[in-house]
Amino acid sequence: MKKLLTAFVGSLALITAPLAVSAEATKELKMAYDADPVTLDIHEQLSGGTLQLSHMAFDPLLRWTKDLDFEPRLAKSWERIDDNTMRFTLRKGVKFHTGNELTSKDVKFTFDRLKKSQDFKAIFKPISELKVIDDYTFDLITSEPYPLLLNTATYIFPLDSKFYSGKTEDGKDKSAITKHGNSFASQHLSGTGPYTVVERQQGVRMVFKRFKDYWDTDSPGNVDKIVLTPIKENNTRVSALLSGGVDFIAPVPPTDLDRIKRDPDTNLVTMSGTRIILLTMNEERVEAFKNPKVRQAIAYAVNQEGIAAKIMKGFATPAAQLSPKGYQGHNDSLKPRYDVAKAKELMKEAGYEDGFTITMMAPNNRYVNDDKIAQAVAAMLARINIKVDLKTLPKAQYWPEYDDRAADIMMIGWHADTEDSANFYEFLTMCPNKETGAGQYNAGNYCNPEIDAMVEKANVETDLDKRAALLQEVEKRLYDDAAFIPLHWQDLAWAAKKDVHIEPVLNVMNFPYLGDLVVE
Amino acid sequence: MTTATVSRWDRFRESFFWYSFKRDKVAILSSLVLLLMVLAAIFAPWLAPTDPYDLAQINIMDSELPPVGLDGADAAFPLGTDAQGRDLLSTILYGTRVSLLIGFGAVLLQGALGILFGLLAGYLGGKVDAVLMRIADVQLSFSTLMVAIIVGAVFKASFGNLMFGEIAIYMLIFIIGVAEWPQIARTVRASVLAEKKKEYVDAAKVMGFGTGRIMFRHILPNTLSPIFVIATVQIANAIISEAALSFLGLGMPETQPSLGSLIKSGFDYIQSGSWWITLIPGLVLVVLVLVINLLGDWLRDVMNPRLYKG
Repeated sequence: MKKLLTAFVGSLALITAPLAVSAEATKELKMAYDADPVTLDIHEQLSGGTLQLSHMAFDPLLRWTKDLDFEPRLAKSWERIDDNTMRFTLRKGVKFHTGNELTSKDVKFTFDRLKKSQDFKAIFKPISELKVIDDYTFDLITSEPYPLLLNTATYIFPLDSKFYSGKTEDGKDKSAITKHGNSFASQHLSGTGPYTVVERQQGVRMVFKRFKDYWDTDSPGNVDKIVLTPIKENNTRVSALLSGGVDFIAPVPPTDLDRIKRDPDTNLVTMSGTRIILLTMNEERVEAFKNPKVRQAIAYAVNQEGIAAKIMKGFATPAAQLSPKGYQGHNDSLKPRYDVAKAKELMKEAGYEDGFTITMMAPNNRYVNDDKIAQAVAAMLARINIKVDLKTLPKAQYWPEYDDRAADIMMIGWHADTEDSANFYEFLTMCPNKETGAGQYNAGNYCNPEIDAMVEKANVETDLDKRAALLQEVEKRLYDDAAFIPLHWQDLAWAAKKDVHIEPVLNVMNFPYLGDLVVE
Repeated sequence: MTTATVSRWDRFRESFFWYSFKRDKVAILSSLVLLLMVLAAIFAPWLAPTDPYDLAQINIMDSELPPVGLDGADAAFPLGTDAQGRDLLSTILYGTRVSLLIGFGAVLLQGALGILFGLLAGYLGGKVDAVLMRIADVQLSFSTLMVAIIVGAVFKASFGNLMFGEIAIYMLIFIIGVAEWPQIARTVRASVLAEKKKEYVDAAKVMGFGTGRIMFRHILPNTLSPIFVIATVQIANAIISEAALSFLGLGMPETQPSLGSLIKSGFDYIQSGSWWITLIPGLVLVVLVLVINLLGDWLRDVMNPRLYKG
């Protein structure tokens, strides 16, 4: 009898579980990242931090699942109308944090703003227009058949058009996108997402509260309040987790993986990543970098395998190209080419045997062990007589410097936004063009129109084999030309207390879907 | 000439100073350790197996090797290596050199400023005293570290890192020296106030000596013993300040590690197995500061007339 009763109660609980749980979001989550978002404007900067915030305070039209399939979010469904048109149907009754209701107009507003954003416009370049059909239907129209349309749509997080329209008290346009400035959007936000920002002290603490009218009532998420504290020091962040000060941390430094695994109260989740870490060599600032021999010499002087093995403790894959394995552009024949003797010879041939002095900048809380990697590279370059003036700084200060191209060698990590090789070239190696947004993060100012043309051609190539061949050729030519110094693909690691079920909400893009997080 | 030296040496050997030194085991041990460290620091370029400032000699593949005696150690690196593959023994030798240089340098600067201002304030009195001591008050109301952090950050931003790396030692000596001079100035002023009422000063005045001569030739030698004591303590303080600044990333650059920056660079690894990167330089720093402080204590006991007589 007792058994039966438990079974009955159990099954009852199972049936009502989703409803009951989502109705009672009462848990509090304290989490620590290495840094907090630098702005609240999700169109100001294309970065992992911004997108993580987007997934907390906003919702995309559709998103990637763990297995890299598409999952409908604000768009209920989509269908292809012709080669160049995709029709989306929006979910009804979705409310923004302000209480406004989501309509196609908001999506149109967002799309137009994305097309204006310095950072995002290159991604949206193939999409020529968003046409509103009615309040809940709209078409995305491309100029040519574009195979990555849905991939791109995962980056459309509708903004509250009423909230972002009009003027602020001092007469500035509320929708303006100002890089590293104090625009309205960088300090206020209204999205449809699971969390609202209730408190923000940059660099100190950020408090999120669950949005009570959140549309997704099927979400199992039961976290009511999230306190995000940036903790830059690796050791301190891990200690905070182990001592119970926080419940969830990311990233986990490679040196501490074993320590966390040994702790019975914490869970460690790791994935092999697709984010490439690389160094750019600015040809406009340094005359020598215009010489391919010098760039090659640097490519030969850097020991990717050493960095991956020693600094990253094997928690990274040494790279000789941008595309990770599994991407169409990945070219198996390209291998890391560490050879100091050869590097010295190349420097001699280029006429720089005695070397020169350059400046280098790297962040110190953006990528795993970024500052230590930069130091190691500085030491490697010393062997070919290149003296490096290295400066490492927190990412809030680093990105403005990066946008100014403030040093001769700069570090950047890139994760392909469309999960496709072409995205790397568009942002990192194409000739910089303010108009189209191409080469927006190409701090090396490397420019080879021939390669760019090949990428453009690949973008409209629908035959997958031909496309792959083209992209792999691009990768090979960039390698031969040493357009940049690839270092490694960084693996991902998160850790949390046992009662915080992080595993289901994590993915290889490193966008934790915290709205669906369940805490026991 | 020789007889003079011998007689001075004899005088020294018969002095209370030597007598109490010989009988104080702590003082003997401390000064021995200090002497050893100073010698090791001075001869670092000859003693160290590698040059830790030469980035070209560092190999990343040698990183995080443990000290000899532990599993996986390499005999070429007796105290192990840090996260970048630098030999810890060499780095500690060079680091001690930097720390000592900054300690002594900063105290010399403090001493020069402190003695000058203390003498002026104490002897001249009146407005000079009021102005100088108010400046000292203002400066004392800021903590040394805060001043040093601000000045350091400004210099670092305006000179660029490479330039800062080259002048970092002098910068730190300057920052710490300037930030701490009121300590010495106040001590000197207090002694001067007591001394200037004594008959020998009046006698000197009557004999028509100039103010400068009276201050430096007559009063200063009589105020030296508290200065010695405080200077010893200040050396230890300066070394600690430098280590703290370096630990915060505002001191010596990572490419020229001092003890402080070495401790910082190992901090990430202390709980992840590679404890030696922080622990060994940390121990060296503790021992260095401890022996200097012990010597300072002993010096205070010896030079304090009340203790001497009682």
